[in-house]
Amino acid sequence: MSARPTPFLQLRKPVSRRQKLLSALAIWVLFFGIWIVASASGLVNPLLVPAPQQVFATTFDLFFSRGFGSDVLISISRVLIAFALASAVAVPLGVMMGSFPAIEAFFAPFVSAWRYLPAPSFIPILLMWFGTGEAPKLALLFLGVIFFLITLIMDHTKNVREELVETALTLGAPRHKVVARVIFPAVLPDIVTAMRQMLAMTWTYLVIAEIVASTTGIGAMMMRARRFLNTDEILSGIVVIGVLGLLFDLTFSALHRWAFPYLRKA
Amino acid sequence: MSAETALEIREISKEFELSGGRKLVAVEGAGFTVERNSICVLLGPSGCGKSTILRMIAGLETPSGGEIVIGGRRVEGPGRDRGMVFQAYTSFDWLTVRKNVEFGMQINGVPAAERRERAERFINLVGLGKFAEAYPSQLSGGMRQRVAIARTLANDPEVLLMDEPFGALDAETRWLMQELMIDVAEKTNTTMVIVTHDLEEAIFLADKIVFLSSHPGRVKEVIVPEFKQGARIADKERAVKLDGYSDLEAHLMRLMREEGRGKE
Ligand SMILES: Nc1ncnc2c1ncn2[C@@H]1O[C@H](COP(=O)(O)OP(=O)(O)OP(=O)(O)O)[C@@H](O)[C@H]1O
Ligand SMILES: [Mg+2]
Repeated sequence: MSARPTPFLQLRKPVSRRQKLLSALAIWVLFFGIWIVASASGLVNPLLVPAPQQVFATTFDLFFSRGFGSDVLISISRVLIAFALASAVAVPLGVMMGSFPAIEAFFAPFVSAWRYLPAPSFIPILLMWFGTGEAPKLALLFLGVIFFLITLIMDHTKNVREELVETALTLGAPRHKVVARVIFPAVLPDIVTAMRQMLAMTWTYLVIAEIVASTTGIGAMMMRARRFLNTDEILSGIVVIGVLGLLFDLTFSALHRWAFPYLRKA
Repeated sequence: MSAETALEIREISKEFELSGGRKLVAVEGAGFTVERNSICVLLGPSGCGKSTILRMIAGLETPSGGEIVIGGRRVEGPGRDRGMVFQAYTSFDWLTVRKNVEFGMQINGVPAAERRERAERFINLVGLGKFAEAYPSQLSGGMRQRVAIARTLANDPEVLLMDEPFGALDAETRWLMQELMIDVAEKTNTTMVIVTHDLEEAIFLADKIVFLSSHPGRVKEVIVPEFKQGARIADKERAVKLDGYSDLEAHLMRLMREEGRGKE
């Protein structure tokens, strides 16, 4: 009996760790390979698409001799402050709405209406109200994520199994303890996941805010670079935003693993 | 076994409002009593209202008529005097087995030392001594159900309510759990109301079987398994061999059949 060779494309069979890593590497090597070749062969205008080596050299230069670090820090702090404010409202409100239908009935019509308003449409009015300081940027990020975050957390809270709530009730728990000691811990892993998704969205709004209405931050740097046709700097900004987003995401997923060890099977 | 009454179900009814304003009478005028320290089994075909009755006893549903009295007090909502074990797993996944078992006591302000001691006792009683520090996700289905039982018992309820607690388990684990319940009943003197539609389970566990007819749920017959001669049998295999076991089983089967036919 001759062993039949296993086909490379197996229907819904997980691939090995090694193959996963190699594949991930391969797609990026391919991407940069094409880019390098395209630049070196003069196929593309270097003014519009600088070579990747140059983008990395510029990134390095930006950070170490042109104080780009402070722009990056400003951007990060905007994201974190706005996101912390949004979470401070959304987590308690979402959990309460998911736990008490009377609270949901009051807030839900308001919250779901706001979700259909794209946050950037508020930029002109935010600028009029808050001027040009930090406030309009924070307000945009806040408005951009809060309503989605509330809705996600409320939905997750509603999905906490009824039996858990009823078990707590028959053990003699009063309502506030059912919420604090059962519903909240039960939904917490999902809250962290929701926050992880919404943090990515906060980044999106940050870039919009900084491109449209800011003189500081990563987005503003990119708009300045555009005026002087410094494409390499623009691309640096994109790379930095991407890397930061990735780092935040990895941090959150590490936090999830660390905080909820009980979700892992032994 | 004394004949003192622990729980009285007085002609309770339950109507559910269905969509479109129609009403469904799930339970109509069901009444029975449960003696202190006894095991009462609610048996009947699917949909006859067993869970509804148990949930009304637990205070999770309000009867549309009649009343439920426990220790002289009328039931007006859930409380720690009526602990409930559900068919679905209800372990609090974020807590270890020990913390799960301590949960009710902690909610009710039992001092830490006593809490620990009682938790220890009930964890050992259900045979989970080695797993006290494990998380529920690391346990099998039968073990999780034991956690739920220990957690409810440790909270010291007057009545333990169980809704098909072993329905999701495989046959062998189910026997073990049934034997465990006999052991628990003997050692802790807990009054239990157990819902099942498994005849074997009913005969093995019950000091008294309340058989319900369906649509609407009414008490069709109250049966005391006389063949046990007033004693509980700890061993399932031995119970099956006793004189009178198969007669009772045949009788219950006939009741089930009648009810099944009545539905069509
Ligand atoms: N919340 C509810 N709303 C409407 N109808 C309900 C509700 N709960 C139960 N019922 C109906 O009441 C009747 C009795 O249901 P119940 O769950 O008590 O039966 P059961 O004897 O426990 O059945 P099973 O053995 O299948 O668990 C059924 O017809 C069911 O559809
Ligand atoms: Mg049921």
